[in-house]
Formats: sequence, C-alpha cells, structure tokens
Amino acid sequence: MTDLASSQTENGTAVLTGNKNGILQGVADWKHAKTGAAMIVTAIAILIAVNFFSLADQLKWTLWVSFGIVAMSLSFIWGKAGIFSFGQNALFGIGAYGYAILSLNLLPYSGETLSALVFAGVAAAAFAAALGYFMFYGRVGDVYLSVLTLAVTLILYTVFSSTAGPQYRIGEATLGGFNGMPGLPTLTFWIPGSGSVQLEIQALLIFAIGLAAVLYVIMSYAADSRFGEILSGVRDNETRMELLGYDVRFWKWLAFVVGGAIAGIGGGLFAAWGTFTNPSVFGLTQAAMVIIWVMVGGRNSLFGAFVGVVIVQWIADEADKVVSEQTPLILGLMLILSLFLLPNGVVPTATNWVRSWLGASKGGSRGEATQAAPLPASEAATEPVRRGVIVAQNIAKSFGGLSVLRGVDLTFDEAPVYAIIGPNGAGKSTFFNVLTGRVTASQGSITLNGTDVGAMPAFERARLGLGIKLQIASIFPSMTVRQHIDLALRARSTANRGALIERTLRDVDLWERADDQASDLAHGQQQWLEIAMVIAQRPSLILLDEPAAGMSRQEKVRTAQLIERLSRTHRIIVVEHDMAFVRSLEAPVAMLHEGRVFRNGSFEAVCGDEEVINIYLGRRSNAVSA
Amino acid sequence: MDSVLVVLFSAATSVSTLLIASIGLAVIFGLMRIINMAHGEFLMIGAFTTVVLVRTLGLPVLVAALGGAVIAALLGFVVEIVLIRPLYGRRLVDTLLVTFGLSLMLFQLAVNIFGTTSPGISTPFGAVAIGEYSVSVYSLLLIPVAGLLMLAVYLVFTRTKYGLLARAAAQNPEMASALGVDARKINKLTFMFGAALAGLGGGLLAPIVAVSPGMGQSYIGQAFMTVITGGQAFLLGTLASAAALGGVQNIVAQLVTTFWGLAALFLTSIIILRFMPEGISARWKRQL
Repeated sequence: MTDLASSQTENGTAVLTGNKNGILQGVADWKHAKTGAAMIVTAIAILIAVNFFSLADQLKWTLWVSFGIVAMSLSFIWGKAGIFSFGQNALFGIGAYGYAILSLNLLPYSGETLSALVFAGVAAAAFAAALGYFMFYGRVGDVYLSVLTLAVTLILYTVFSSTAGPQYRIGEATLGGFNGMPGLPTLTFWIPGSGSVQLEIQALLIFAIGLAAVLYVIMSYAADSRFGEILSGVRDNETRMELLGYDVRFWKWLAFVVGGAIAGIGGGLFAAWGTFTNPSVFGLTQAAMVIIWVMVGGRNSLFGAFVGVVIVQWIADEADKVVSEQTPLILGLMLILSLFLLPNGVVPTATNWVRSWLGASKGGSRGEATQAAPLPASEAATEPVRRGVIVAQNIAKSFGGLSVLRGVDLTFDEAPVYAIIGPNGAGKSTFFNVLTGRVTASQGSITLNGTDVGAMPAFERARLGLGIKLQIASIFPSMTVRQHIDLALRARSTANRGALIERTLRDVDLWERADDQASDLAHGQQQWLEIAMVIAQRPSLILLDEPAAGMSRQEKVRTAQLIERLSRTHRIIVVEHDMAFVRSLEAPVAMLHEGRVFRNGSFEAVCGDEEVINIYLGRRSNAVSA
Repeated sequence: MDSVLVVLFSAATSVSTLLIASIGLAVIFGLMRIINMAHGEFLMIGAFTTVVLVRTLGLPVLVAALGGAVIAALLGFVVEIVLIRPLYGRRLVDTLLVTFGLSLMLFQLAVNIFGTTSPGISTPFGAVAIGEYSVSVYSLLLIPVAGLLMLAVYLVFTRTKYGLLARAAAQNPEMASALGVDARKINKLTFMFGAALAGLGGGLLAPIVAVSPGMGQSYIGQAFMTVITGGQAFLLGTLASAAALGGVQNIVAQLVTTFWGLAALFLTSIIILRFMPEGISARWKRQL
C-alpha cells in the first residue's frame, strides 16, 4: 500500500524525482500554469464585459472587482498566514480616502490619478505597518488581534464621521464628515501626445479586471514562494518556526502590510469607480461583507475571494428585490449558514469534488505505517563536528510568588551528551525553557558559544546554533515533509538545497514520504521529522525535552542510539525523567531538586546517592530505617 | 472645589458606565473564551425591553432593567443551544463569526420592530446641585449600582455552587469533567448569565443614552477593549481596565471633546496591549 501510494506520487511528479533542478522546474511550471490560467480567465472576462454587459452591469462589475481585491487581501492574510483581521475593510477605506485626497490635490498638476491609486496602496500599507507593529511586536494573541482590528475599524468610522467642517481640509480635499467626499476624479491617465484621458466606465472595467489579474498573479507567486511557505509555517506552528530561527513577529507583520497594500488598492479603485467615498467604508456592515465574501469563497483560495464576492453580492441584490433594505439580516444569515454548511468555502469544496471525481486524490496514506520508524541509516559521519558550549550561571525564575529555580549553575562544555534529571516539580522544564528562550529568567545569565543570550528571544538563539526538540512532535500538519526541511534550512542559500533536503530526509528514512503531508505520518515518523528539522538547522548544540516520553522500550533503544550518533558531531543536552533511558545514555547527569542543582556527576554516582534515592521515593532521609 | 468634585463624579460615572456595559461580555469571555460579538445587541435588547416596560406598564427603571435581563437571558439560552453549542471544539474565530452574524441579524430585526429611532425614556430622579453645577442624580446613582453589580457577580462566582463549578471548568476542563462537572450545562448557564448581565446593563443605561437598534454598535468597541485590556481575571481585571480606560476617556473628553475621549480610550488600550499583550491581569495570581 505504501509502495503503491509512493509510486503514484512519483508518476504524478515525474520531473521531481532524482533531479534536484527538476524540483525548481516543476514549481516554475506550476506557477506558469497558474499565470496562464489567470490570463485566460482575464481575457474571457474582458471579452464578456465588453460585448455582453449593459452599462449598469459594467458599473456593478467594476465595483465587484474592487470588492474582490480587498477580499483577496483577507484570503491572503487569513488563509495563508492565519491572521484573522476585521480590519481589511478599514484598510480598504484608507485606500479610498487616500485616493480621494491625493487625486483632488494632484490632478490639476499631473493630469492623471494613477499615482493616487498607487498612493492608496501605500497609505493603507503604512497604516497596516503602524497597527501591525503594535499587534505583532506586542505578540497580541489571535482573538485579541481580531478584537483590536475591529476596534480600530470602529474608531476610524467615528474619526472620519466627525470630520465635518471646513477645518478638516487637506489641500484641495475636504473630508466632509459623515457625508464624505463627493466629486472625486475618476481614473485618469496621462498619455504623452493626447494629454489627460479619463477612463469611461467600460475602459475602467477592463482596467479593473486587468489590475485584479495582475494583483492575483503577484499574490499567487507570493503565496507559492518562500515567503508563502514561511507564512504557512507560521500559521501551522508558530513555536516551531521560532525554534527554527524565524522571527515570527516580522513575517506576520510583513504579511499584514502586504495585505494592507492590496486592500488599499482595492479601496482606491472603489473611490475611482464611484467618484465618492464616505465613512460607511469603515462601517461594521462593510467589515462583515469582506469576511462573508471570503468565508463563502473559501479562505484558502485567492481566486475564491472573487467567486465569493460574485455569489454574495448576487444573492444580496436578488434578495433586495424581494425584501428591500434587509441587507444586514441577509448578510448575517449568510455568515451563519456558510459557517455551518460550508466551512471551507465554495472554491476549495468544489476543487475537492472535482479532484475526487477525477480520482486524482492521493489514496489513503493517512494512518498507515503505524509501526515504529526504523532507525535512521548512519550517514552523519561526513558532518563536521560542531560542539557548542552553553553556560548557565545563577539562574533563578519565579512565577508570581512561586520560586521554581533558585540559582542554577550548570556548564555544558566537555561531554558530548549531558542529562538533566529530577523528580516532578524540580524545575527541569522551566530550566529547559530558560535555555531555549521561551521563558526569560528572573535572574542570572545564559552564555551560548561565548555570546550572552539571556535576553534574546528563542529565534535569535536558534540562529546562534541552538537546536530544540520539544517533547510532543512539533511539526507543520498541512505542509509536506520536504517543505519542513526546506523551512529548517532557512535562508541559507545553497545551490544544492535539493540534495541537502534529500540527504537529511534519507538520514531519518523519510525520503520516500517527501511529498506527503506531515499530518499523514505516523506518530513515530513525526518525531523523526522534527529531529530531521533540528539537524537541518545545523545547530552546534541540541536540546531534547523528554525524548523517551511515551515510547516503547524498543523505540527508546533506538532513540538512545540516535542520540549517540548525533553526539558524534553535536553537543546534546537531554532533559528526562526516565531513569533507565538516562542510564543508557552513559552521560554525566545533573540532578535538579527544588530549583537547585542537587547532585552533579556520573549516572552511577548520582543515582547511587542515598539522598537522591530518598528524594525520588519521596522519603525523608532520616526516615530510611523505618 | 466644586468643580473638582464634579470632575471626579463625572469620571466615576464614566468608569461605572463602562463597567456596566462590559461586565456581561467579560463573564462570557473570561469563562468560555468566546468573543460574543452580539454583546452590543444584548445590551440593545435590554435597553428596548426597559423602555417598553417603563412606557407601557410604568415600572420604575431599575425594576424594568431586571426585565431586560430576563429577556436577554432567554435569548442567550436559545442562542447558546442553536449557535454556540455546535461550535464547541472548533476554532475560536468560528464562535466570533457566528455571533457576528447574529449581531447583524438582531440589529436588522430591531430596526424592523422598533424603527431606527425610539422615543426613549426620560432620566429619572432629576438633578442635584453641587455648588453652581447641576449633576444628574441618575448618573450619580450608577456609581453605587455598578459597585453593587460587581459585588453581586463576585459573590456569584465565589459563594455559589454554580460559580465554583464554572471557574473550575474554565481553569481546568479535564479535571472538572473528571470530577463530574457537566461542562455543557455550566456553559449554558454562563452564557445565559453573561447575556442577562448585558441585558441588565442595557436597561440601566437606557435612561442616559439614545436607545436605538444601533446602540449596540456604539458600545461594542469600548466594551471589547475594556475586557481584553482587563485580561484573564475577568472581574477585577475588567474593573481595573474600566477604571483606567474610563478615567482616561472622561478626562480627555472634558478637556477636548467626547470624540477625542473615545479616541484616547482606544489608543490607551492599544498601548497597554502592546506591552501587556494578555491584559492587565495576566500576571495576577487571582483569576477572578
């Protein structure tokens, strides 16, 4: 069964196997195919628009295209980067006001408003950058983020509604309070020789479709590129990305800014279309619409955004003919229904139908191969030896009033493997997290290879050579095995990236599954995949948190062998409470007890100690005789 | 001297109003981790119920507001069963979206029933003179009312069986269910309780705000920011953030305009969240 699945995969992507450059070629072909499809759809759309649409239809569709652009921006940040924002319509609104303000001021001099459309994108991106700084660099949580963006949307509505009066004037542009800004110039080009050319409605629609197509292709490239891969990683597993050395804050921020620029351009197009803008672009109903479009179209599909707009707006228009002025009721109903009936949206659902109808779906690899993963073949001998040094001095940590660590001094600089043991509550996990950077010590210093890393976040320590394997396999469920290693290699630009990925995966016996989704791997294989990622990071020092937890005896033996092998080239610190496993490591042992180093030495010396035994058995030392 | 007193009363009223408008949301968010986007509409329903009871039956405002709480609790009961329960275990954002949909529908239904404006009710109890200033007695009354409300909610969560079980289920769901706590029943009660508090809040505010179908939307932003700035200790944290945000809002509003007061509230909360992303009470040991 496994063979069948993998041979199917090989047939499907014949270009990929064996040839490293083939991978890039294959990806490029796919992108070209997408671009080609976009161009064909665009051409057809333009032909239909020109030949069959009435003036009213052309007006309507231009509006829908501008809506589709802002919906696409939400698809990108929500579907790709996992950021759920209520604020895309606010950025759309800023784009609309940006276009309004610049076009009114600039048109008399430049004779065009294309620059105002560009400015719409820039203004929205700048606003997104400022807001994003607070949200992402403050590490505001998911739910808080959606509430914050909603609050910002509401306040922009209030701000722009209260700009009535002549004092709210920017150059030629009066903001106009609740009534907004009427009489804006439509989209105007400056063509050498013939001067200013205003786009009539048909030309505006053609331009809008072309613009949307260009933005779609750019966003598709971004989504399929390394940028998109990193964003998927952040969406799937922020912690792991951080431990791989990525600054998660920055990438989320960047995605938000890019999404902001796109939304702003949509808003600019909207203002050019209607030659007006008013504060209702910041309204709650508008905020709801953007989300409903994306929900209906499918947030994992950029194209779905446009489909969602067409479906929702069509239904809303038709419903309005039956019961007029009930838009919020209908929108709310659609939102709830799509959530319950179509949680993935129209386009992904339809795509899945077509796939299964064509029989092209990857036949059940899920849940297979539940047997323990085999021991990786030993190829690491070619790796250079990199044994980093980490020194913890006088580390103390308290949570609230509870002192968990009370001055831990440990130096890891000689043996290839060290073990940290201790009974429950001894402070092992906290010490581990202080080393990784996920917890900041209240006191003391951490030195990694001579650099003081005590105040550094986890991702910076990872860049300095700290590799971390967490207790529970921390992987990216929706990504392929190959992408995991690609992410772990980070920006290290190597010509033989493909070869490096192959070697790493062969090392842990996962090369056969390179193009399978990680969520389809067996539990043990996911553990190996995480270890493969850690190795691919090229750390000098590897921290393992309870690597034997939940393993069978056989698996523990294999894990100990793997640690031994890795230790030929890396320094390894294992935090563990399984004593038999620790003994098999034949490593120096530091035992923590009540937040301090209680004993430090060889396994035999520490575990032969009467007092240590008493602590583990929960006896008081003077009660032994009883 | 009088002016200082008036400013202080005004600030305290501001804080109390914020607290009354937020407490229902805080209970639901604090115990169920659900952002109830329809919170504003629960306020609105409480307010309309109060207006109707006062105008038709001539009930005193404080009694009519209890009627608002009952109606909102009944609605909360239905909403929890129909919309919230099927979504347990799904992403947090799903419950947010479903209540957002509900919020839009309730708004439109209110417009259909009551029209876009309402006659409202007059502010009872008249005014009292402080030196040369005149201050509304009802506004002053909201200060002890908010205090009593907080105390009552605090007692519910510390002294009743439901309160203890609800906190247990929120802090450690596995342990609670291992001890035989029926999480579904607790969640239903919590949602109803939060909805009732929202309805009561709307009723209490009805005499001093313009009651309209859109009133929920004008409170929702402030209430949300107050609750998330408050953080995990959903009672005392919300109290602290309401004090900070309401205080800032009121002072700025008195110095400049109402609008800038609101802007100051939002800015303050965004800045607090930049440095305390999990709210003021994230590091407190108390979780109430």
